[in-house]
Amino acid sequence: MESTFVLTRCGDDLFCVAVDTPQDAQSLAAALREAGNWLEVVPGIASVVVRFDAIAQDGEEAGQKIAAVIESGIDGRDMPGELLEIPVVYGGEYGPDLEPLAEATGLSADELIARHTRDEYSVDMVGFTPGFAFVGGLDACFQVPRRAEPRQRVAAGSVGVADGRTGLYAMASPGGWNIIGRTPFKLFDPDIADPFALKAGMRVRFKAVDAGEFDV
Amino acid sequence: MSVTVVKPGLQTTVQAGPRIGLRHMGVQASGAADPLSMALANKLVGNAWDAAVLEATLVGPTLRFDVDCAFAVTGAQASVTLNREEQLQHETLFAAVGDELAIGAMQTGARAYLAFAGAVAAPGILGSVSTNLQAGFGGHQGRALRAGDVLGLAPHEQSAQMTPDEFRVPMSSSWAVHACDAEETSLLDDASEAALFETNWVIDQRADRVGLRLDGPRLTVSSDGRMPSAGVVPGTIQCPEDGAPYALAVDCGTVGGYPRIAQIARADRHILGQLRPGDHLRLLRRDADHAVALLKAKTDYWRAWLPEIASILR
Repeated sequence: MESTFVLTRCGDDLFCVAVDTPQDAQSLAAALREAGNWLEVVPGIASVVVRFDAIAQDGEEAGQKIAAVIESGIDGRDMPGELLEIPVVYGGEYGPDLEPLAEATGLSADELIARHTRDEYSVDMVGFTPGFAFVGGLDACFQVPRRAEPRQRVAAGSVGVADGRTGLYAMASPGGWNIIGRTPFKLFDPDIADPFALKAGMRVRFKAVDAGEFDV
Repeated sequence: MSVTVVKPGLQTTVQAGPRIGLRHMGVQASGAADPLSMALANKLVGNAWDAAVLEATLVGPTLRFDVDCAFAVTGAQASVTLNREEQLQHETLFAAVGDELAIGAMQTGARAYLAFAGAVAAPGILGSVSTNLQAGFGGHQGRALRAGDVLGLAPHEQSAQMTPDEFRVPMSSSWAVHACDAEETSLLDDASEAALFETNWVIDQRADRVGLRLDGPRLTVSSDGRMPSAGVVPGTIQCPEDGAPYALAVDCGTVGGYPRIAQIARADRHILGQLRPGDHLRLLRRDADHAVALLKAKTDYWRAWLPEIASILR
């Protein structure tokens, strides 16, 4: 199916392009970065938001430039594709929502872990807070809504599921995803040259480990 | 050469310019919530507009100097005392070794800016020295100041200056900002769309560097209230499930899952840093071209005192 893109001005210095998939969003964002000088290019799950310098650049011209990139086509871009194995301690104190999720789905906790660790996934998007990764493509049993009452604090490394995606909390923050485990793997470290362990387009596989991993 | 925190105030952080260009990695803007007031303070002590300052919120800090240093206070109206003697804002002031500087409770406006000649020492991380409170990096150990903290200073010689009257941003408890329609404004029902731009909103208790909840009529959108996560920026107004508009500020996350119902114009985003609970706020609806014209007029006005105004209001 042909990708569709809808461009809208959504502020004096903002454009939003509605797209079909996270992959389209990432590809379009990459193409836009190559084509112009923008303050921000932010791919979402089904959109790309572009912020331009409205003093240095005319709004109409900026819009035309984005439209030209869309028209030139963005399909078939190479994504990073690197595979990363992420250790996860599932359930218990590290994954308080695993048991409730098992009850809700009628599957055992072990079966949920088996399904979560079975497939290879891709990082759909990074955002919200530094390094927070949205990992797509989960088994249908993980098509569950976010918690009605978000938690005030979710620990760094928490592994949440909602709406068929895994969310990886790179740092402690409030959060509404169903937390099924936690990884000792450091997802964001501002003190090293490349602070971001995960980037959009990377492939990810989860591996069940025991709680001893946190002592290392 | 340093200044020691005697009392930290309600929330005092080291801030400078924003982090720009990393929102696709989840990195928030951070930086001064009111960059215009920060630039005015830096101007009075001969610093670059985005040199690291202290941003004080609602109740200011008390500090003790262990070095002679020029400083200046701008932004929200608050009492400023040096060794208990009342001082003026918008003027270069001079502290000697052992002097104690106290910034009191803000009377109007939410945030005061304290600049020191030569800036506060802080490490640059991801393009700025500003404190990122959510992620806990930048500024002073990635957090708000506490009693006993010692901040490094590197004072330079500074002559006395005053902000000209016409460049003293007036503080108020009743504000208006220009705003454009955003990606999901059309999801509002007709009554809600009218209410958004006609209500004299009241700033809720939930008002901080992340965002400000607006009290008034509850709005309804013609969706289930949830959107696929999409890019947001400071100044984006979202409509969460409870129908109370939420205006995002400098520390907001880079993506959000609620409908984006308006976008505060770039020219007026600095005002978000001065809104406090109980203040009134009107959203003046303008189309994008009009908002750009306002931005150009505003930057043309300010350039005479702050030549970097286009960067300050970026």
